Amino acid sequence: MAATLEPSEPGKGKPVKLLGILDVENIPCAWDSVLYGSLGSAVAGLGHFLFTSRIRRSCDVEVGGFILVTLGCWFHCRYNYAKQRIQERIAREGIKNKILYESTHFDRERKQTNSSGSN
Amino acid sequence: MAYPFQLGFQDASSPIMEELLHFHDHTLMIVFLISSLVLYIISLMLTTKLTHTSTMDAQEVETIWTILPAIILIMIALPSLRILYMMDEINNPSLTVKTMGHQWYWSYEYTDYEDLSFDSYMIPTSDLNPGDLRLLEVDNRVVLPMELPIRMLISSEDVLHSWAVPSLGLKTDAIPGRLNQATLISTRPGLFYGQCSEICGSNHSFMPIVLEMVPLKHFENWSLSMI
Repeated sequence: MAATLEPSEPGKGKPVKLLGILDVENIPCAWDSVLYGSLGSAVAGLGHFLFTSRIRRSCDVEVGGFILVTLGCWFHCRYNYAKQRIQERIAREGIKNKILYESTHFDRERKQTNSSGSN
Repeated sequence: MAYPFQLGFQDASSPIMEELLHFHDHTLMIVFLISSLVLYIISLMLTTKLTHTSTMDAQEVETIWTILPAIILIMIALPSLRILYMMDEINNPSLTVKTMGHQWYWSYEYTDYEDLSFDSYMIPTSDLNPGDLRLLEVDNRVVLPMELPIRMLISSEDVLHSWAVPSLGLKTDAIPGRLNQATLISTRPGLFYGQCSEICGSNHSFMPIVLEMVPLKHFENWSLSMI
């Protein structure tokens, strides 16, 4: 086994961590959520300022918008990611069982072929 | 195993550890957003010229900062409880292995079929082969079949120890006079390292755990060779 290992993939260097804690490169959906949050916050803050010309309140709207949009994107993306993982697991189990049970009593394709042949 | 200067979790090798990683991501995002909000509020407080020294009541903000943290805590607690109960699901283990903590080594017993038991001592640094991991290698690894649920019964012969394997999401205290149970299942073959996780004396840092997860056929051959 290699005695030295890189912190992340070889050649990529240290991972980027927002506020020193959020590893946006390696956490699924994190980078997209933060990007959409930043975009949404910029739009909301700028729009509020254009309509009201109030700087401090626009900054408050920007931060609030960042939190809300990031959270919304995060939950939406993680929900879809969880569904995808479940589907991947079902597919993986199906492939493994197909190889394992081929030509045995448990083979579903063999049962279907027999039932269609008898019909 | 961990790489040098690692701060995060090791890659998950069991379904429970995968769930824990995702829960950690979820909680970390919430913590990140709260930290951003607090940082922003602090910067506002430091840059304002306004003062208000006669605040009598603040019903609206007090309502918000009571209800919002409660909602956040519920958002964190529900996935946490889900994983907690998932850890205790009934899964019909195929094998039972007992591990006893000693000062300062682990002993393992495979007594389902024949009596097989051995001790697992750390290999001293002076006896390591090139490429071996310092303070992690042992003379007798725990060989187990992969992709099968395994019941680990953990106890101790002397003082408190803790049997931990981070990549499988396992950490169970070894308490003298008590039998603790953990369920182990690995999705991949390979070597999985852990270390004693409860202070137990001078050599507490020098009693590692190494699991060698192999296909069932290899496990059968190994257990036959050991009897």
